[in-house]
Amino acid sequence: MLMHTDRIGVTASSEASQQGRPAVQLDGVTKRFGDSIALHEVWLKIQPSEFMTLLGPSGCGKTTLLNLVAGFLEADSGEIFIEGALVTETPAHQREIGIVFQNYALFPHMSVANNIAYGLKTRGIDRKEIARRVDDALALVKLGGFGDRKPRQLSGGQQQRVALARALVIKPKVLLLDEPFSALDKNLRGSMQVELKQIQRELGVTTIFVTHDQGEALSMSDRIAVMSAGRIRQIAAPGDVYRRPADRFVASFVGNVNVLTGCLVERRGEVATVSVGDMRLEVPAAPLAQAAIGDVVDVFIRPEHLAVMSGSTPGSLRGTVSTQVFQGDHIDLYIDVAGVAREPVLLRAPGIAALSSCPVGTEVRLMVRSDDVVAFSPGASE
Amino acid sequence: MTKRPFLGWFVSPAGLVALGLTAAMAAVFQFSMRAYIPGSLEVGGFTLQNFAAMLRPLYALAFWNTILLCFETAAFTLILAYPLAYALVRTRSSAVRSFILITAVTPLFLGEVVRTYSWMIVLGNNGFLNTLLVKLGLVERPVQMMFTAGGVIAALVHVTMPIMVIMLAAGLSHIDRNCEKAAESLGAGPIRVFLTVTLPLSMPGIIAGFSTAFAWTFSAFATPQLIGGGRVSTVSTLIYQLGFSSFNFPFAASLSIIGLALSLAVIALLKQAARPLERLASAT
Amino acid sequence: MKRSPAVIALRWSGRVLVAAILLFVLLPGIVVAVTAFNDRAILAFPPQAWSLRWFGRAFSYSDFGRGFWNGLTVTLWASSIALVVGASFAIAIHRYTFVLKSVLEGILLSPLIIPHYTIGLGVLILASQTGTGRGFPLVILTHVLLVLPFVMRSTFISLENLDSRLELAASSLGATPGRILLTVTIPLLLPGLLSGWLFAAILSFNEFTATLFVSSQATQTLPVAMYNYVREFADPTLAALSVIYIAVTALLLSFANAFLGLEKILNVDAH
Repeated sequence: MLMHTDRIGVTASSEASQQGRPAVQLDGVTKRFGDSIALHEVWLKIQPSEFMTLLGPSGCGKTTLLNLVAGFLEADSGEIFIEGALVTETPAHQREIGIVFQNYALFPHMSVANNIAYGLKTRGIDRKEIARRVDDALALVKLGGFGDRKPRQLSGGQQQRVALARALVIKPKVLLLDEPFSALDKNLRGSMQVELKQIQRELGVTTIFVTHDQGEALSMSDRIAVMSAGRIRQIAAPGDVYRRPADRFVASFVGNVNVLTGCLVERRGEVATVSVGDMRLEVPAAPLAQAAIGDVVDVFIRPEHLAVMSGSTPGSLRGTVSTQVFQGDHIDLYIDVAGVAREPVLLRAPGIAALSSCPVGTEVRLMVRSDDVVAFSPGASE
Repeated sequence: MTKRPFLGWFVSPAGLVALGLTAAMAAVFQFSMRAYIPGSLEVGGFTLQNFAAMLRPLYALAFWNTILLCFETAAFTLILAYPLAYALVRTRSSAVRSFILITAVTPLFLGEVVRTYSWMIVLGNNGFLNTLLVKLGLVERPVQMMFTAGGVIAALVHVTMPIMVIMLAAGLSHIDRNCEKAAESLGAGPIRVFLTVTLPLSMPGIIAGFSTAFAWTFSAFATPQLIGGGRVSTVSTLIYQLGFSSFNFPFAASLSIIGLALSLAVIALLKQAARPLERLASAT
Repeated sequence: MKRSPAVIALRWSGRVLVAAILLFVLLPGIVVAVTAFNDRAILAFPPQAWSLRWFGRAFSYSDFGRGFWNGLTVTLWASSIALVVGASFAIAIHRYTFVLKSVLEGILLSPLIIPHYTIGLGVLILASQTGTGRGFPLVILTHVLLVLPFVMRSTFISLENLDSRLELAASSLGATPGRILLTVTIPLLLPGLLSGWLFAAILSFNEFTATLFVSSQATQTLPVAMYNYVREFADPTLAALSVIYIAVTALLLSFANAFLGLEKILNVDAH
């Protein structure tokens, strides 16, 4: 199912989260900085215990949105609700949110334990209880015994965990994370992502996660809100965002994709047929509602959905291998397909057989091996 | 190619200058241990009498007064400069920022004499403050402000403000704003955020500013001389008096040495006392 | 808007506080400015009648004129010498290790802590012992000693911000160390060098205490001339001179702020 409007509430595919009131709700929130508009009437509902990722390139407004929910910025128009209560006018320190920054922002002049205890002290909790909860929090992030250390004595990953513990120990209504792992190296990032997801599931805390890394978004989220230029393009579960992107932007931003030139051949209810060279493909009809039969359309095919065929197969594309790139567990083949693609088509060949079977210059035939192909009219909303 | 091209060219001129400075300081050292021959610029043989003379209450008091003066000036300057520095760094209006910057920094470039002179007009018996107080009916006769320690401190604070504002602002501008946001998100209101996060993290700037203010004030001459008018005795005014009224250079030299030693000792003590404070704010 | 009354009260009291302190800083300047236009010859406030005659006297009093030119001479020599000596030494400190490095650095930075009257006294004693007269070279030397630390610091900061890879790139392209220095290093350091020079020049022109010790009637700079005037006369001429001083300085600084970014020079970049 494709979602296609600015005013998106809940997608049909995530009906599981339709119980009761949303944990976070934004109604028509707009934010301007001087002359430029950072957020354009954003409508968003996040369900309790949901892991929602705001995904988009820099400048798309995702961090602005996060800051608005946190209370560090004031909206120019619209309303913000947390657990049903109107918080648009509430200052940040009364919103009961926990936030983890990209640069950790641990208090350098306090020990790890005091960092974590900070939010409990502001709530006037007694010392024994604070000590107990700090220990629990440290255990949760697997840093038991680190209480007396200073932030500068910890590694990046450890500091990030302290930041997480500090945000969680106050039992926030919403947990906000602003690109928390982008400063970590790849392996550490992977393990932190897994840990965060486990903790989030265990505690059931509503989470808003901001990132520009679509791999991160796909792996961790219950739902992803893909944003660009101050608007939400699509809100859906990762699978839907990947397989049924709502528009060109989402299709090209999330994952790799090849854009091939095709032609609208037929339309039958919810399904349309397009031709790409000799190939015939079925795509969702909704994005092509404005197109007429015979119009040129752009067909988006993911690299892993293409396969090299042996011999000549009817309804396949003919091309020449221009580059091979060894990627360890698979080979990336770049294939020039005349008349249909301006750039070489990327194809993923599992294993290493392709190294020998498809050297540069070989003539090959391509077929599409999937139902997850989408097409959009050229020049449609970017 | 050598690893240190032009080393000689870069270092020798500086070396010469350093030599000059060392020679000048050595001259002071040497003179401090010579006998004074009244009425002449010649000096006699070596003696420690100058240092002995300093234990006399008159001079010991001058040292004590000076150190007290410096502390008070530095403290008041800190209190007044901090809000300015904070506003300078945190304001979102560039007009306000430029205004504060120019206003705070201009006095730095005016020189001691202009600044001290303007305070003479403010503090004089017929000056601005007294005229205002009498007109408003708050006092019957002019309050004596010139030639008092209070007047000297007021002027010295004014003179020291620019450098303190600059150092505090430099320290404040390097604070990670995300730490303050984190504190806010954890439930701390604006005052709590300031007291538990901003203030501790601005400690390096505070310490640097306080020590610099102390050292600068110790070096001040025109202000205590003109506003103190001989009745507020500091090390600097004493030295000038001895050097240019009685031409007792040896004694002036010995005063300089002890004064320098004292101020260095106090600054070293300040740095020691400040070390735990500074560790508070050291970032990763 | 965060309409909590407590926050609003806090914000406004903060603004009032800052305004009050700014008033304190501006007060002497305003008072001096008003006094300068006083018609009468006494340092009284407020003026009864207005006149520009003190400005005329400020310009015509010969000691001031001579003091101005003396000061300019000393300043230009001293800050330029300090620039060359200080900048090259700063480069050496930043990049090389050598014998006596920290000793030399410590000595040359010491005028930041040593009172100016001590340095003035020392130079004076040294001059009398070596038979050097109290001419311009002596005053210039003193000023070089006093402003050198600022040039060194300013250059050092610029060096820290300089990307050394640019020089490495030049070297890889075949440039000799001398050529690199002239065509890459110095041009990139120029803003820092310029602001260091400017800072040194302004401090030198206004320097009073040490100059009082080492200058003579013939070499006295403007601040010394002004000091002598105050001790003799009690009229508002000096107020008029101060007004000119303040106006010119504020103007110069406004330019510096607009073109060079005063905040950057003073290392006070607000984020």
